[in-house]
Amino acid sequence: MQDFIKIIIRFKELITFTALTVICLSLISLSDASKIGGFRAFVIASIGKLQDAFAWVPNPAALRSENQALRELNLQLSTEVIKMRSALIENNRLRSMLQLKDTSSVHLMPAEVVNKTNVQMRSYITLDKGEQDGVKEGMAVRTDGGLVGEIVATTRKYSLVELLNNRHVKISAKILRNQIEGIIAWEGGQYLVMKNIPTSFEVYPGDIIITSNYSVKYPHNLPIGKVIKIEKEPGSLFHRILVEPFANFAGLEQVFIIEQVVDSEVFQLSKEIEERIKSRNIKRK
Amino acid sequence: MKLEAQKYDLKNIKVRYIIYGIIALILMLIELLFINIISIENVTPDLLLILCVWISLAEGQFPGIFAGFTIGLIFDIISGDVIGTNALAKLVAAYIAGFFHKERNLKANLNTFRFVLVVLLSAFIHNLIYFFFYLKPAETSFARFFLQYGVAATFYTVLFSAIAILIRIPAKEIDID
Repeated sequence: MQDFIKIIIRFKELITFTALTVICLSLISLSDASKIGGFRAFVIASIGKLQDAFAWVPNPAALRSENQALRELNLQLSTEVIKMRSALIENNRLRSMLQLKDTSSVHLMPAEVVNKTNVQMRSYITLDKGEQDGVKEGMAVRTDGGLVGEIVATTRKYSLVELLNNRHVKISAKILRNQIEGIIAWEGGQYLVMKNIPTSFEVYPGDIIITSNYSVKYPHNLPIGKVIKIEKEPGSLFHRILVEPFANFAGLEQVFIIEQVVDSEVFQLSKEIEERIKSRNIKRK
Repeated sequence: MKLEAQKYDLKNIKVRYIIYGIIALILMLIELLFINIISIENVTPDLLLILCVWISLAEGQFPGIFAGFTIGLIFDIISGDVIGTNALAKLVAAYIAGFFHKERNLKANLNTFRFVLVVLLSAFIHNLIYFFFYLKPAETSFARFFLQYGVAATFYTVLFSAIAILIRIPAKEIDID
């Protein structure tokens, strides 16, 4: 017995290290990063309050980048205002001719960004609107430019938004010009990547990317970004398209919460199928 | 007399651990509230990792691994990350740093360029583990992402560890022999 205790004392570092490693691996396998609820949502909201209190600390890099983006946006908007006005008149005339229901009446709730958490490649923002304002998990968030992300956790006064530049994010999207569907993901860097577009389809720099009608998480036809570069990978049947997001993630200050939650049944169904495929793959392995 | 000295040592250790706890909390708040100010292209230094390496070198491997695990786990909970990723990465980093612990010559470890080198090694392994779990659910190439961000984060952390060298260790605790 004494020998056993001696061995334990002698190798206590290794034994403790092994035990803690097993605990960590168990925790990793049990936790689901896409779900932040209960106690953690409370902790994150409390941090949100703290972040709100320190929001006055200036971030020169973000301010500079936001200023530049705003100037560019101003320029674009001023030229597009006239086009939009004439398009609106034409749209109304055509709608009344076809007696179509107006689908663009989505309620937008303005919200202030109280903090941006960007620790170790995880990008979240905390908004000053929560459950008491009618915010729900799953609502999309956008700026005047385009899609920003999705609300992943809410408390009474705050909500947490997972930005598009996050490893979990995969968005069903399409090219506005030819309606070709693909998938938007983030692989690091300032650009998003659009995949699953066959090389037989022509894609050009400047093409606008919007959310697809098949998206189970985001409302359709939300602007995401524009094509910057088309890469052809040798041996691949698909394009690798770099997309510059319209929203400036570095300088987010005011955003809009889209008060529309995508049908939870559709979302649940797609998740169930995903899980079934996953478990089938594990069985095969 | 010996008993008195032991009591003094125990009290001293308790005070040091309380100080480490307070520093860890302050660094967590800095990581969550102000780190964006010094982030470059989404890359931020890992101040908590520097603290874990420091504890391992100053107190030994055993307290180091406990510190790495606890600090990592708390940070996972409050930062919204997958619970266990930071805990595991910091646990391994502290364990590796613990091999360089020299009880009788703390100054050589903590107040010299050696500390920076230990942080470099620990941060590299920390980021290797962290990014492995970070990219697990994604289809991104690990090698490309790690070279782009993991290596950059390692060097940014190392840069900040140089500041820690300047912290003076009480004369009583250095160069015992």
